[in-house]
Amino acid sequence: MKAGGRSPAREGVSEVAANGAREGHAAAWGTTTVVGAAVPRVDGWERVTGTAVYPLDLQLPGMLYAAVLRCPHAHARVQRIDTSRAEGMPGVRAVLTGASPGADVPWFPQRGKGPLSKLFDPHCRYAGEEVAAVAATTVFQAREALAAIAVEYEVLPFVAEMEQALLPGAPSIHEGGNRQNETLRYQRGDVAKGFSEADAVVELSFQTACEIHTPMEVHGSVARWEGDTLTVWDTTQGVFAVRDALASALGLPLANVRVICPYMGGGFGSKLGLNKHTVIAALLARATARPVKLFLSREETFLCVGNRPPTRLTIKAGAKKDGTLVALEMKALGTGGAYPYLPTSGYLVADLYTCPNVAVEQDNVFINAGPGRPFRAPGYPPCSWALEQTIDALAEKLGMDPVELRLKNVPVVSQQRGGVPYTSTGLADCLRRGAEAFSWQAARGRARGKGHLRRGVGVAAGMWGYDGEPRATAFVSLFADGSAILNTGASDIGTGTKTVLAQVVAEELGIAPESVRIEHADTGTTQYAPASGGSQTVVANAPAVRAAAQEVRRELLEMAAAELGRPQTELRLAGGAVVTPEGTVHPFGSLKALVARQPLVGVGRRHPHPEGKAALPFVAQFAEVEVNTRTGEVRVLRMLGAQDSGRVMNQLTFENQVFGGIVMGVGFALTEARVVDRQTGTVVNANWHDYKIPTMKDCPPELTCLPVDPQDRECNTVGAKGLGEPATIPTAAAIANAVYHAVGIRVTTTPASPVQMAALLERHRQEG
Amino acid sequence: MMPNFEYVRPTTVAEVLTRLAAGGARLHAGGSDLLGCLREGILVPSSVVSLSGVAELRGIGELAGGELRIGATTTLTEIASHPLVRQRYPGLAQAALLVASPQLRNQGTLGGNLCQKPRCWYYRGSFQCARKGGDTCYAYAGENQYHCLFGGETCYYVHPSDLAPALVALEATAHILGRGGRRVVPLEQFFLLPGQDFQHETVLEHDEILAEVVLPAPRPGAAGVYRKVRERGCWDFALVGVAVWLARSAGVVEQVRIVLTGVAATPWRARAAERLLLGRKLDAALAARAGVAASEGAHPLAHNAYKVPMLRGLVEEALRSLA
Repeated sequence: MKAGGRSPAREGVSEVAANGAREGHAAAWGTTTVVGAAVPRVDGWERVTGTAVYPLDLQLPGMLYAAVLRCPHAHARVQRIDTSRAEGMPGVRAVLTGASPGADVPWFPQRGKGPLSKLFDPHCRYAGEEVAAVAATTVFQAREALAAIAVEYEVLPFVAEMEQALLPGAPSIHEGGNRQNETLRYQRGDVAKGFSEADAVVELSFQTACEIHTPMEVHGSVARWEGDTLTVWDTTQGVFAVRDALASALGLPLANVRVICPYMGGGFGSKLGLNKHTVIAALLARATARPVKLFLSREETFLCVGNRPPTRLTIKAGAKKDGTLVALEMKALGTGGAYPYLPTSGYLVADLYTCPNVAVEQDNVFINAGPGRPFRAPGYPPCSWALEQTIDALAEKLGMDPVELRLKNVPVVSQQRGGVPYTSTGLADCLRRGAEAFSWQAARGRARGKGHLRRGVGVAAGMWGYDGEPRATAFVSLFADGSAILNTGASDIGTGTKTVLAQVVAEELGIAPESVRIEHADTGTTQYAPASGGSQTVVANAPAVRAAAQEVRRELLEMAAAELGRPQTELRLAGGAVVTPEGTVHPFGSLKALVARQPLVGVGRRHPHPEGKAALPFVAQFAEVEVNTRTGEVRVLRMLGAQDSGRVMNQLTFENQVFGGIVMGVGFALTEARVVDRQTGTVVNANWHDYKIPTMKDCPPELTCLPVDPQDRECNTVGAKGLGEPATIPTAAAIANAVYHAVGIRVTTTPASPVQMAALLERHRQEG
Repeated sequence: MMPNFEYVRPTTVAEVLTRLAAGGARLHAGGSDLLGCLREGILVPSSVVSLSGVAELRGIGELAGGELRIGATTTLTEIASHPLVRQRYPGLAQAALLVASPQLRNQGTLGGNLCQKPRCWYYRGSFQCARKGGDTCYAYAGENQYHCLFGGETCYYVHPSDLAPALVALEATAHILGRGGRRVVPLEQFFLLPGQDFQHETVLEHDEILAEVVLPAPRPGAAGVYRKVRERGCWDFALVGVAVWLARSAGVVEQVRIVLTGVAATPWRARAAERLLLGRKLDAALAARAGVAASEGAHPLAHNAYKVPMLRGLVEEALRSLA
């Protein structure tokens, strides 16, 4: 892999001291020295050597192991549970059912109505729903005991596919039927009028498959009670979100629930909220007065902890001869499985391009399948798959270059938010500079090959419509020896959050990032941070961390100025020392006041979002593919991600995010799909072999990350916008457009695996 | 959950055979298929007999007549990298190199690869399917995109081995040891279709062991190739795979064997395609016709018709690579 578009870390000294605070919060950085550099992970060593203790690794004295009995039927009602035999089995310490004390916990609360379900709901709505649980001395004893629990089920007819959910006579999954909500609508302008004025109109229908997160570290928790205080080690992206929901489920004060996650082995959205197994572990720990560890099996991660829901989308787009978009319409059918979840987002349709007339309609239904959950850019990749292929088809109909058509319609305001301007939009730059770096024109014009190996290139644009939660607190403590502690509730979910936040502290205090020790992701001892999801982690936390570090910096400079008899504005911080304009170096330890008062402690809070503006990231990605027309094999030869995520906080973590996002997009485009057996409504590929996550061999051999930094000084005080999600949004559509360019086949259904491609190519040959 | 079993590690074939004869035993070579089968409850042995201590089952060596002997516990990595295999039987080396992933090739063995249990997600999953004593084949009316085109009969799994078609194309023989001694079976006859035997995938009796595979001495001027299509670049079984071995004289095909994998419960000879090639000069047009001929007799299920054009294209491509 090569990294393109690298700019060296910005030279020079921070200008912040000179600018000082403005309107209650700091001015944006100008140039930076540590922030932006290619700083390796501060926790890389422990992660790769195995000394990092993930929740899955945790062993506590006297700890029991738990396992969950799950409904094997797609739809059933539990009539009777007999746990007597299981209770007598060797090593078994407790068996939990819905009838156990404290286990009548509501689940899926609804506004103004009773909850949709409960912890152990006798009405099981998908294969994999929780029926009972066991705690035993070993995990093997626990699982063996599950087999000894006798459950009488009334097996009910089920709905396996979303198209069947609303048919007359379809079995009702919830009282009131299978419609999740009234049709969701967004509308501006008049699409009928828009289409009537269009010179070219295209309409295409698409399907996207259900994807499973199935992260490396399976989902699970360890629960331990001390009196009426509960500590939970949970593999989660958001300790505070889990704490809040867990306290509510168990009726405990927030102060009595401590949730900790020092390291997390992948989540991708599936570990954002409270899971039933966490509550079950807590209840079993209380019942047995022992710590209880409950981790799911690999197979269980495919059933009950979320997915990217399947969708059916139709998009219609109309434009004038010159490429001006005049109307966009999307109709979506989707299912979040057996419980409410929005499968797709209309955001891209409404806001990616300037268009006066837009209509979005979404129908979402219940089926007997595992519930959906946020999955890296929830709702966007399916919408992008459809929208960006439709735009590609429109460009062809207009005889325009696909990059040119997109450039023609780049927005400067958020139309969906009533026309508010963006703090910055790098979309045009992403398209232009990305095309240039990709040699788009040359590649587009190159022969596609006459033999059975055909090459093509494609582009897709995208954006991410969430600004992040403007709420986070951080503490920074500085010692006279130049070391510091950063205290933040943020979770580092593998993206390098700790490293980036250490760089922020280092930047402000003139110390090395490795001098910053980090306490994080512990609701008992660290400060509030929103869950690490929604591409908000750096955006929400870095400004709070910077504010805390700046408070320390101000105090330190005051001390130094007094002690050295120099005005503060003359002094700078570097190498753990105060440096005068003449270059005299005064190590922090030489400042008497600091030694006497250490540590200096700064408290930083996230400032509000800029008023009347939208601060959002943009992206354009380019793909080159080779299609084997004999066998249907599609190889992605190279990809380039041109990313406007504002300031590059760390070149290495930035590239990691972009490459990771692209590879995940390759999986969405080419390999991944949950397969449900239509006869039984159960998942047949609930394992890592049959569910095909891309391997290293499926990664494009040439991957380029091109940061496009619009030098946004308004979005927040660090100048960074979200990155994790935009990096994966347009990938699949860019690949599909490249496939179309290569062979003239519009692949409307994911994944474009050889299974599908061989059939499409055969039909294409027969139809000539 | 994995059931408890006795684990033994004998050092001679005789001891292995005694263990097998006692019943309830399963062999452990690389274990990559065994582990999954134990975990899924496909196999519930009372004893697991390790072959790792039986030195005579392992290794590659040339025999007096120029044949090549490959012991059953030889790993796939050893096969793929052995100089004699690479020189004389390149199609076999290619096949071995395309199995699974590097880790699995380091662990997996020739014998294990040939004797692997059926690859069907119903059989492997928690479905009481016909093959496991139930009364229905879920694949027949269900999700059968990975299932067979040829030879299906009440059970529609595929044998997805990459080595098997390459070895059948080379006319390898299976050397089987039992308490009665050694018997030698052409590898092509080693595998059984569900219609031949509904319970067993191979001709091995419960008290027999596949000891080695022997390849005939290479014929000068012969050429071989193996190619597979899979859904991802590594760690994936063939949707369709093809091994071709052919010998020409003055450009005319004198002998040819085209063996498909991923399309039947056994390695599948594409005999119509072979007949078409015999006595002709192999060129692009003939390769394409042979591809079509290779699909003769295919009976696609509801979701695997794509395998027909895929195998045609693959056979064509493999033949063209030898033209």
